[in-house]
Parts: sequence; C-alpha cells; structure tokens
Amino acid sequence: MSENILEIAGACKFFGGLKAVNDVSFAVARGEILGIAGPNGSGKSTLFNLITGVPFGPTSGEVRFMGERIDRWPAHRISRAGLVRTFQKDAEFPALSAHDTLLVSATYNGRLSRPQAEARIDDAFRSVDFGQTRRSMPSRELSVYEKKQLMIASALISEPALLMLDEPASGLTKPEIQRLDDLLITVNRSGVTVLLIEHVLSLLLSVSQRLIVLNQGSVLAAGDPHDVVKNPQVIEAYLGGRS
Amino acid sequence: MANKRQLLAIVALFAALALVPLFVTDSYIRHLFIIAFVYAVIASNWNLSLGHCGVFNFGHLTFFGIGVYTAAIASKTFGINPWLAMLLGGGTAALSALLLAAPVARLKGIYVVLVTFAFSQLVLQLVLSQSQITGGAEGMVRLPFLQLGSYSFLKDFKFGYYYVGLALLALSCLFLAFVSNSSFGKSLKAVRDAEDYAAARGISVARQRILALTLSAIFTGIAGGFYATYLRVASPEVFGFGTLSLALSMVLIGGVNTVFGPVLAALVLTFATEAMAGLQGFEDARFIVIAVAMILVLRLAPEGLVDLLGKLRLPVRRTQT
Ligand SMILES: Nc1ncnc2c1ncn2[C@@H]1O[C@H](COP(=O)(O)OP(=O)(O)OP(=O)(O)O)[C@@H](O)[C@H]1O
Ligand SMILES: [Mg+2]
Repeated sequence: MSENILEIAGACKFFGGLKAVNDVSFAVARGEILGIAGPNGSGKSTLFNLITGVPFGPTSGEVRFMGERIDRWPAHRISRAGLVRTFQKDAEFPALSAHDTLLVSATYNGRLSRPQAEARIDDAFRSVDFGQTRRSMPSRELSVYEKKQLMIASALISEPALLMLDEPASGLTKPEIQRLDDLLITVNRSGVTVLLIEHVLSLLLSVSQRLIVLNQGSVLAAGDPHDVVKNPQVIEAYLGGRS
Repeated sequence: MANKRQLLAIVALFAALALVPLFVTDSYIRHLFIIAFVYAVIASNWNLSLGHCGVFNFGHLTFFGIGVYTAAIASKTFGINPWLAMLLGGGTAALSALLLAAPVARLKGIYVVLVTFAFSQLVLQLVLSQSQITGGAEGMVRLPFLQLGSYSFLKDFKFGYYYVGLALLALSCLFLAFVSNSSFGKSLKAVRDAEDYAAARGISVARQRILALTLSAIFTGIAGGFYATYLRVASPEVFGFGTLSLALSMVLIGGVNTVFGPVLAALVLTFATEAMAGLQGFEDARFIVIAVAMILVLRLAPEGLVDLLGKLRLPVRRTQT
C-alpha cells in the first residue's frame, strides 16, 4: 500500500478566465497533519472542492486517494470512501436535530445500520464536547459554535481515513481554539490523517507537521511550518494580498 | 423523538373517523369523507417529494391519473379483479415515477417544474389520443366495483367504500410515518436544505430524489385505483388543474415538514370547499378563498397550520412525558 494517502498531480480549476487553482501538485502522507495556508482568494477552498468533488471536480489533473483515481467520482462516493470534509461557511441540515444529523451521516457516510449508527452517536458528541441538552434541538436553533462542533462530529462519526477541515477556527474564541487544537491532536493520534486549512497561525503552527502555502492558485512554498512562515516570498504574499 | 401527544391526537382522529359511519348515514356526507380520504392520500404523498425532499414535482396528480386508468383498463378491459386492479394502479404509478425521476433527479428549480409539467401533459395527450384503449375525452364508464363475495361495497350508503378509503389512508400514513422517521426520510430533508453538505456526508442527492419520487407514487396510484373503482369512471378530468391546485393547497396549508399536516388540511378543505359551493355566489369564489388562505398561511406560518397549532398550545397540563 502507498505511503501517501492522497496524491494531487497537476490539479487545475478554472472559472472562465480565472485560474482559481492552477497546476497544483502535492501528496499527503498517511498519518500526518498537513496545514494549508494562503491569503484570501488564493484557492484553498477551491482546492478542497476539487478534491472532494463538492460541488465539482478538477478542470484537469489527477487526484488519487489510497492509490485510486477519484477525480471523476461523484462527491458522495468520495466521502463514503473515507475522505470527509467540513465547510468554511456554516453548513447545517436546518430541519434535522443535531442527533439526526449524526445519524444520517453515520448511516450514509459510514454505511452503518441504524442500531450501529445510534451506538456511535454519543461518542461522536462527546468527542467535540457537544452539550447534552442541545442534542435534540433542530440544527437551525444551534449557535454558530455548536454548528461547527456538529459539522466536525458529523465528519468524525464515519471514522474517516482523511479528514479535511476548512478554517475550523474562524470565529472561535481563544479557549475554543485550544479545545480544537486538543481535538485535532487526539483525532490524529487515533490514526486519522488531517488536512487543515487555517488562517489562525498559532493553531497551524501548533498542530501541523508540514505546511503548504498557496498564492494565486499555485503552491508558493511547502515544508516545515516554522521555516515556511519565515520564507520571504510567503511574507510578501500575505502582506501584498491584504490591504 | 416521536411526540406522544401528537401520536395520541392522530390515533384519536382515526378512531373518530372509524366511528363516523355509525352516526352519519347520509350517503352524500359519507361520499365527501371518501373523497377527503383520497385527497389526503394524494396530498400527504405529494408532500414526501415536494415538502420533505424539495423536488418541485408538478406531475404528482399524473401518478394518481395513471392509477385511475390502470385500474380502469385492468378491471374493465382485462376483467381483472377490481381489488387487484386497484393495487396495480400503485405499481404502474411507481413505475412511471421512476421513469420521470431519472431525468428530473439531476435538474434544479424551475427545470424540475417544467419537465414534470411536460410529463403530465404528455400522459394526458396519450390518454386522449389512445381513445380505443382509454375512451379518449369521454373516458371510461361503468367500471367494475369492489365486492366481497356477493356483497357490493356500494350498498348500505357506501358503508364498505368508506372503510376501504379510511384503511387506505391509514396504511398510507403508516407508510409515510415509517419512511419519514427512517434515516432515509431524514436524509431527504438534508438533501432539500443543504445539497453540498449532504453529498459530503455520503448521501447521493440524485438517488434520494429518485427514491422519494418513486415512493410518493405508490399510494397515490393505489388511491387512483380506489377512486376508479369507487366512482366507476375514469375521465381525463383527473389530470385537470383544479385537482392539482386543490391538492397543492392541502400540502402547503398543512405544512411541508410533517406527515399529518396535509392529511388534516385535506379533511378540512374538502368539506370547506363543499360548504362554500353550497353558498349562493360562492361556487366559483371558493378557489379564490382557498388561494387567499394558502397565501395567508405561507405568510404567517410558513411551516403550515399544524406547526402553528403546536406553537399556540399553552404549556399547561404537563403531567408526564
Ligand atoms: N464557484 C465559483 N465561481 C467562480 N469563482 C469562484 C468560485 N469559487 C471560488 N471562486 C474564485 O476562486 C478564487 C479562489 O477562491 P477560494 O474560495 O478557493 O479562496 P480561499 O483561498 O479559500 O479564500 P479564503 O481564505 O477567503 O477562504 C477566488 O478568486 C474566488 O472568487
Ligand atoms: Mg476558503
């Protein structure tokens, strides 16, 4: 079996003339936490989209997950195979309770029977410290933080091989970020490979073993996180990209 | 999750409906109940695709019409037992739903409306043009009716038909309650409200839409078969705009997130339209009244009347849960 759980080769995503992701290649090693940074609009979320097929695959290029080409697979098949993501924007099933959100995720993504799925729900809630009294609440009535917790729990419940998180720390308080930090370490120790897009630098530096920086759709730098953030080109891109 | 009080109310409603024929012997009132049961099946099953799954299917009444004509042709032309013919209506309706769903599953919004509406027009044209089979614009009359042994279900002021209709509604409700409480039923609401998130949790959006449409046609088609054996006619009028808009108002007034909202709305609206038809000058105005009621409900209680009733209930009598 391959050392790399995910391999991207020459991936592109164009929107008309806009090259949102332009010839990106990299690999994710089994078991690592790989951070992805880059200024706003550099193509981080688009990269996640084209890998997971939600809502689209790449314009061109190859994506391999556990050795298999997945770049033409429908999104639900990719996530069932164990490559599960969260979204940068709030995502929720407003009409479903937190409990039912996990149930649906476990039955479809995890391909579990109802009793098997129900048996996992408590653990999934506990892994993200989800309030006991909030579990039967319709998702639309949850707080922003609770929705984020729920989105992560709904990814974890199917025991993914690769977890992809798109800016999970945005809008969180310091203590909440610390809890997220602990959670990522725990999840990773349990054998889950993690791909993490983040603007909160402290979190990125604390958890990632490697860091990739995107700029204008291409890889600008990659390597040891502490080296990468000192890279003059990276500093320039961040300063130049923000007015 | 199953709200005990709600369950109790539903059981009470069906018990009350089962007792109606003991007190109401007037065959016209019984007829209205039977029609209300048919509408309740149509509306609550439509709600599965339209409400729960968010598929703007405007061909739902066509499933009903296909049930009507299947039962009519099977029983009259082929001499198949009307009981079986009625059930066959559910089969052909589900099959046609499956055929319709394949192209519709990947379409969005207005395109779904257009394709499903075109489908209903296509079936109507087929019924009209194949007059040697369907009777064309005149339809088919004197269809065989339901019997057990030598007992006709039309006898005793439609006594038998009342209970067959009620049983059909009860079975349909059990079916819908089971579906909507299953993981599958919950996944439909996920697909409706957040397609991308649903796909990212392993749910095939197209597949769920196809299944929702197909399942919504089964009892609708059987209700069509029942309707044909009851009225003993099959006429292209069942495809008409009047039935469509009345059923739609039942779905919307009843509430799109529930199973029983459209059932209640069907019972109320069938009698309400009938009462208004009896009022001088209201014969045509009644559809306007229903349209206004529909708009008011959508403005004031977008989740439907059942939801509104739930909110109005005072928090007293909280003895046990
Ligand atoms: N569906 C789309 N259609 C057209 N353009 C798009 C679409 N999605 C993204 N873009 C464009 O692609 C570029 C990259 O966007 P993307 O969301 O991937 O950036 P990002 O790195 O995630 O930014 P942020 O840090 O703000 O989340 C942007 O210029 C964006 O406007
Ligand atoms: Mg982004």
